[in-house]
Amino acid sequence: MDPESFLSIGAFCFVLGAVFSLVPFRKGKSLLYLLPALAALNFAAAGLYLAFGEPANILSFPISSVFGFLFCGDALSGFFIIAISVLTFSVSLYSIGYTSSMKHQGLMGFLFNLFILSMIAVVTSGNIVTFLISWETMSVVSYFLVTIDRDKESAKAGLLYAVMTHIGTAFIIVSFLLLYAYSGSADFAGIRASAAGFPLEIKSLVFLFAVIGFGTKAGVIPLHTWLPKAHPAAPSNISSLMSGVMIKTGIYGIVRIAVDVLGKGPEWWGIAVLVVGAVSSILGVLYALMEHDIKRLLAYHSVENIGIILLGIGASMMFRSGGLYNLAAVALIAGLYHTLNHAVFKGLLFLGAGSVMHATHTKNMDDMGGLMKAMPYTGLFFLVGSVSICALPPFNGFVSEWLTFQSLLLGFSSASVTSKIVSPLGGAALALTGALAAACFVKAFGISFLGMARSGHAEKAKESSGSMIAGMAVLAVLCLVLGVLPGVVTSILSPAVYSLTGAVGPTSAMSFLHIDETAASLSPAMILITMAVMSAATLAFVFVAGGRRKLSYGDSWDCGIPALNARMQYSAAAFTKPIRMIFKRIYLPRRELRVSYILKPFFVRSIKYSGEITPFFEKFLYEPATDVIQKIAGKVRLLQSGSLHLYLGYILITLVLLLIFGS
Amino acid sequence: MKNWIEAFSVIDFISVGILLTAVAMNAFRRLESCVRTYTVNSWLLSSLIAIVAFMIGETHLYIAAALTLVTKGILLPVFLRRIVKQMKVTHDVEPYINNALSLTISGILVAVVYASLSVGIFVSGFSKNVLQISIAVILIGLFIMITRRKAITQVIGLLFMENGLFLAGFSLTFGMPTIIELGVLFDMLMGVIILGIFAIQIKRVFTSSDLDKLTILKG
Repeated sequence: MDPESFLSIGAFCFVLGAVFSLVPFRKGKSLLYLLPALAALNFAAAGLYLAFGEPANILSFPISSVFGFLFCGDALSGFFIIAISVLTFSVSLYSIGYTSSMKHQGLMGFLFNLFILSMIAVVTSGNIVTFLISWETMSVVSYFLVTIDRDKESAKAGLLYAVMTHIGTAFIIVSFLLLYAYSGSADFAGIRASAAGFPLEIKSLVFLFAVIGFGTKAGVIPLHTWLPKAHPAAPSNISSLMSGVMIKTGIYGIVRIAVDVLGKGPEWWGIAVLVVGAVSSILGVLYALMEHDIKRLLAYHSVENIGIILLGIGASMMFRSGGLYNLAAVALIAGLYHTLNHAVFKGLLFLGAGSVMHATHTKNMDDMGGLMKAMPYTGLFFLVGSVSICALPPFNGFVSEWLTFQSLLLGFSSASVTSKIVSPLGGAALALTGALAAACFVKAFGISFLGMARSGHAEKAKESSGSMIAGMAVLAVLCLVLGVLPGVVTSILSPAVYSLTGAVGPTSAMSFLHIDETAASLSPAMILITMAVMSAATLAFVFVAGGRRKLSYGDSWDCGIPALNARMQYSAAAFTKPIRMIFKRIYLPRRELRVSYILKPFFVRSIKYSGEITPFFEKFLYEPATDVIQKIAGKVRLLQSGSLHLYLGYILITLVLLLIFGS
Repeated sequence: MKNWIEAFSVIDFISVGILLTAVAMNAFRRLESCVRTYTVNSWLLSSLIAIVAFMIGETHLYIAAALTLVTKGILLPVFLRRIVKQMKVTHDVEPYINNALSLTISGILVAVVYASLSVGIFVSGFSKNVLQISIAVILIGLFIMITRRKAITQVIGLLFMENGLFLAGFSLTFGMPTIIELGVLFDMLMGVIILGIFAIQIKRVFTSSDLDKLTILKG
């Protein structure tokens, strides 16, 4: 079989799934999600073919001599197809259980299939027009998915999402039109061939517009505002796809335009991407720490992880312009590897959050607690996801962040002074981000799953259905596999990276990575074995040296208070208080304490505490901007008074002026 | 006969008549007078076409003249008069600005048109004044629409504009093909009927035919 037939079978499955979803029946409808799962397997196979094989034309459908539909794939598309299909497969399994009690089941299934198909179309588009049409289809379909619940919150989030994504698309269109104007070709291949001859300022303009446009979709700060609103509003299987792979199409766009099509650029391109990445990663995780809504927390972590991915890609661009091709390859592998990893673990975490919300009917972590006992599998998988996102071995986040660190620290060997300064700073940002992420997931996991139930809903929580657990299990196993066998991923990536940077990057075997420049090596399998041996040894030591003791079970020590209750637990706000204090310059926290007394100052009737942080970008960037626009709009509105006579007057004045000045 | 027409420059006289009826619209206070003025305007237009047809011997211009007379000279005025009767209340025009000022502005409009169209490629054809007059009639029609409150006066203003447009097209091309003339006339007939129904509806809903009340429709 060749990639084309895999792709057509896959696409056929999606279309079938979409059409059948619209057939009005309810019983067993959620089983239709087996179709996208099947399609995902086909696409994964096609993606593997593309990742290792020659660039292939999949489908071309010319409309005129200049424009037409063109779908083609190369190694880079292949890699993104793999990332999309891996997540699609598990999310489809998960959706069988998750959507079975949903209200708009048919519409959901239809949009679900269309959404994934449009993402595949984006990463396989071969020319400008096809890309833009696929891109807009993806945006519109995801807008409908965000607003599928049709309540006020999701309508508001959807509107913000639609506005932001269209601003982004406007920038992308400008950048594409510039490319078209200067190359005379609408195909990416044709543009790539003539890009070397463009004037530098034009290239830089294209680069800037592309980064802003695609950055809006990827959710880089300060263009991230839609992300923490739209992702929580969508149903969890959709937020998993949006956060896992849809925002990655923004990364794909940046790599495709800034690295692939435009080729080697000046150093400041890479530095710009690097700085954006560093800012996004630190601020993303800082805002995530302050969230008590589990899905918003995860959404802010997506901002953070996009930042980490951009650190790798920016470093790669910087090294490439400095002529350090092997380092550029290492950094690009790091960025793309993290793209795949983030798709897997963030997909897993959103699915976990979805299960928790399904069971407890709340998004607020302060209403959860003690879920580990009620939902052991979900808890375990959420823990795996949390450990992966905190970049702890032996899971996958560790490998990609290790690679990013290596490439950033190697920036010292660069000839340019700027990159000598910038890359260690990027490394420092990554280190801070990692530590804060760990703190954040201790909070997310600890507050939601450990301790005592904080609400009646949490007490009554039940484990999710089999298919939901299966969907999460696939991703949890992948977290481990991608973490232990990095050689598999780097070998999938190396053709793409070789074609983009002209170097292979780290030498690798199944579970072994080696970077020549630093002589740094990593073997996650060895780490896993060491961890297993060490824990076994410790247990054995305790068992042997400690001897046999009688175990007795009792309640936690409660300082003599008669009964422990859930309100005595650490709350999410309390846990992050130290961080809120350290970073108060960034958070600008406001808090309000209202105490009413029976007899001042000793007898208190009630204490009401409320605290919030200032959303910096919303307040100082978006609000002034919308204010200005509204003011102008208000002025312009005076013209439209509603008076018919005034409108006719405009026509008369225009006519008379035309008569006077036109003749 | 032809010499006689040329000697007394009958064409120019009729054109000026069309312009004067349009200007006179500004001076009338009663809706009935406005409808009557429009009728006179249409008859003048029709006779102008007929005379030009006689001068250059085009048969299809006779048809245009007859059609104009039937629709604009007879059908529309009858219909307008019926609307005015159905409106019942005041038959006053209720302009925004007083008649003197409105006449002055009409005069200025005519002057502007004459000043700006006195040179250029359009000054040709059977009478170099007809184009200027037609444009002036269009502007005056528009001006009437702007300064009158009642919905029915809007319709009359529109009809004046249409007459002006017809005259302009006629002066440049010696009449469009009959089928187009037919289409335009039929369109206008329908348009005025619909507008008349609207005017009555507006009157019914807002208990006034004052278009100022429509501003409350704005969101």
